[in-house]
Amino acid sequence: MAVLKVEHLHKTFPGGRGRDPNKVLDDINFQMSGQHFVSLVGPSGCGKSTLLNIVSGIEQASSGTVTVLDDHGKPARMGYVFQDPRLLPWRNVMDNMLYVHDDRSPQRREQLMRYLRMVGLDEHVGYFPSQLSGGMQQRVGIARAFGVEPDLLLMDEPFSHLDAITARSLRDQLQDIWAQTKKTVLFVTHDVMEAVQLSDRIIVLAPGGTLYEDITVDLPRPRKLSDPKVATMQAEILARLERMTQELARSTSA
Amino acid sequence: MSVEEPIGTRATLPTATPGPDTAGPTGATQGRWLTSDVGARVTSFAAGLLLWAVLGAVFDRIPGPVDAAVNLWQEFGRGEVFGNFATTLVRFFAGVAIAAVIGITAGLLVGWSKLWRAALSDIVLVGLSIPAVIWAFLTVMWFGLGWQAPFTATVLAATPFVAVNVSKGVTGISRDLRDMSRAYEVPLRRRIRDLALPAVTGYIVTGVRFGMIIGWNAVLLSEWFGSSSGVGFRARYWYDANRFGGFAAWVVLFIAFIVALDRLVLERLSRRAFAWRDTEVRTDDV
Repeated sequence: MAVLKVEHLHKTFPGGRGRDPNKVLDDINFQMSGQHFVSLVGPSGCGKSTLLNIVSGIEQASSGTVTVLDDHGKPARMGYVFQDPRLLPWRNVMDNMLYVHDDRSPQRREQLMRYLRMVGLDEHVGYFPSQLSGGMQQRVGIARAFGVEPDLLLMDEPFSHLDAITARSLRDQLQDIWAQTKKTVLFVTHDVMEAVQLSDRIIVLAPGGTLYEDITVDLPRPRKLSDPKVATMQAEILARLERMTQELARSTSA
Repeated sequence: MSVEEPIGTRATLPTATPGPDTAGPTGATQGRWLTSDVGARVTSFAAGLLLWAVLGAVFDRIPGPVDAAVNLWQEFGRGEVFGNFATTLVRFFAGVAIAAVIGITAGLLVGWSKLWRAALSDIVLVGLSIPAVIWAFLTVMWFGLGWQAPFTATVLAATPFVAVNVSKGVTGISRDLRDMSRAYEVPLRRRIRDLALPAVTGYIVTGVRFGMIIGWNAVLLSEWFGSSSGVGFRARYWYDANRFGGFAAWVVLFIAFIVALDRLVLERLSRRAFAWRDTEVRTDDV
């Protein structure tokens, strides 16, 4: 488990050639820790993925601080599930899993097999990515992220490129794996239904990269989409998002 | 999750076993062979040979395949083939080796660094646009008769092809995969070994393959214009003697060499380098 602190985080991409600088994140502050599944929700372009990339170290913040520590106060280990699987096409499933590990011992392989078993791919360790369907490749990406036994797991719209049936199946599976491992998860999505089904907490980002609202989702697990409580909560959050859009439109026109 | 299976794993090829009403096993096998890659290559080769034989029979100044074969046999008898061929091969492989070293280095620099790209990409473009025959003329003018001209012509002709392919491989390394490696803090050594090298290897093989083909042209032309030994010199000897049979014999020899080198060595290496890409099997392919 990890503690993630985001303080006064700003990110502006430089303009150049007559274009204005693009402010993506504007004074973001939040904290999360423990066995929590937190979703970042917001419209496209509000800086959700950029925030995740800054937390992971792929991007640098313009200003502000991001601190990710494990239970012992040391830098936390992170796993990252991307929108697309990002597998090495010339390496088979097991070698893709091993790529992010320093040791290749039989014990390590057995540990990785456990995660492949969890996602139902333990019989496909020798397959190349091109021999797997999109859903199966994404499951390898999920197993790889869990395989590093991260203190903090980052997930950036991991099901957005999949068809509805596969995405639904993977969401259910993610719930199961999370229930077993109880990792600290920061999950980016633009799908409110997905956020309600998976999260303990939903942080809403507004266009312009400001933090609009922090919502606690206090529903029993495991959650099914057919559950009326899930549907009610989804409708409530959608209504809030609509209100946010109207408020922003009014303030812009004023 | 159990509904998903790897693409192609359940695919079955249509069976070629004939039923009792079909043409029988021999007919089916022949039909399949004729429409195979090997069948197409053999047919194309046989058609070319036939066309050559017809042209040789019709025109006096075109030696036919039999004439070329007889002259080649006589050249073997005179002891001219092995010595001259070995001389050319040494010049050729030494030139290609140097071209590979320079081309791979230049390609890596152009692919990795903006500064080197700015400095070298135009030079590589100029190199690509100069035909082998120009390098042959230039090197003969610079070095005169001797081994230096064919060797240098090979280096100069082949290097840009290696460099441009390698640089394409480097710039083609996926940014997504680099970001993934950074997110997981994969050490640089493993990134080079497992990410960069496999991504570039295929391009290196392709670059060296094209470099060899173009280098072979350069070495022969250079020997033709300014050498007292080698395959190109020997072809020129028979050309000057107005003995087209002897000339054709050497042309056949050096074409056979480059085709064999490409098909038996380079193409296989290239296929092996890209083996991971060819593993894809889709049900709609069968």
